Amino acid sequence: MCDTCGCSNSEEVKIHNLQHKHEPQHDHVHPHEHTHEHGNAPFAHSHGHTSGKIINLNVDILSGNNQTAQLNRRFFEGRKVLCLNLVSSPGSGKTTILEKTIHSLIATHKIAVIEGDQQTLLDAERIEKSGAPAIQINTGTGCHLDAQMIDTAIQKIEIEPNSILFIENVGNLVCPAMFDLGETKRVVVISVTEGEDKPLKYPYMFQTSHLCLINKTDLLPYVDFKTEKAIEYAQSLNPKLEFILVSAKTGEGMNEWYNWLFQQQ
Amino acid sequence: MHEFSLASEVIDLAQNEAIKNAVTSIQEINIEVGDLSGVDADAFETALELLVKNTILENAVISIIRTPGIGKCNECDIEFEMVQRLDSCPDCHCFPSQIVGGEEFRVLSLLAE
Repeated sequence: MCDTCGCSNSEEVKIHNLQHKHEPQHDHVHPHEHTHEHGNAPFAHSHGHTSGKIINLNVDILSGNNQTAQLNRRFFEGRKVLCLNLVSSPGSGKTTILEKTIHSLIATHKIAVIEGDQQTLLDAERIEKSGAPAIQINTGTGCHLDAQMIDTAIQKIEIEPNSILFIENVGNLVCPAMFDLGETKRVVVISVTEGEDKPLKYPYMFQTSHLCLINKTDLLPYVDFKTEKAIEYAQSLNPKLEFILVSAKTGEGMNEWYNWLFQQQ
Repeated sequence: MHEFSLASEVIDLAQNEAIKNAVTSIQEINIEVGDLSGVDADAFETALELLVKNTILENAVISIIRTPGIGKCNECDIEFEMVQRLDSCPDCHCFPSQIVGGEEFRVLSLLAE
């Protein structure tokens, strides 16, 4: 196990479905032979100086994850599901944003949530209380969700056509950036209690996201966060990144966030 | 620190290739890690060394080939060594530049018995 952050292998991953009442109807098939396409010479050629044989691969190490992510993406596209991967540091307010969003939209929209945390069912329980079905992935000591975990989760929860599926990733601005889950769009959340230089410190996450929600704007009078600077830094990394300022607590900016969601559908 | 998951991916990949090529042990594995790939090469190597026990790679020499980041200026088109993704063009100081090298993270080859 990793001494720095505790990452380890997938044996510790647990997926908890809080919907015990009914079995989901799941009608797609996930072929799981991950064939690796090798662009270059896939097979051996002998070298005079060695008794062994060289197997040339030139294969991307993330290709297995990326292929599963593509299958997930096809599943979402086929059902016209808007799948959003929410990433942030711990404590930026992702779960509160989701609770408020579900509370406001559940009467008119079909919503489901996949929650990712190292431990506990607490977030999935919070989401279920707001009225949307939720499934919890506990990564054990792992620091991110990967495409295979999402594949397993979507076979255990009912994803209705034309719905919105939120994936709340493990709170971590580093590792989740590398793992495509098959999402339609990636949403990075920062809060004004963090430094405005966060985009510069974690460039990968901001470069791979489509929308940045700047949360806890109700606290702006009490902190030194410079919103324009944060936006300037993030846009220098990713000129296409969109921004919405919200306070999940007071509701400020939330309508703009909902409108953004409707535009993506 | 996703290096442990990535090291597991490499071991799976090597196991599959060994089966596919009907080999029973691997003497050497060559892996390319670009400086802008988002992977800490040292942490990745440590993770791989720890995880190979009782796998096909247990006795393999792990060779990590690091490739430098290369940026290309959008304005003056010159290529330059990019240490960080945020580096601006050393000539015209224009920013941001395209990344044209150093994002690789792949298994290049295996030497098998």
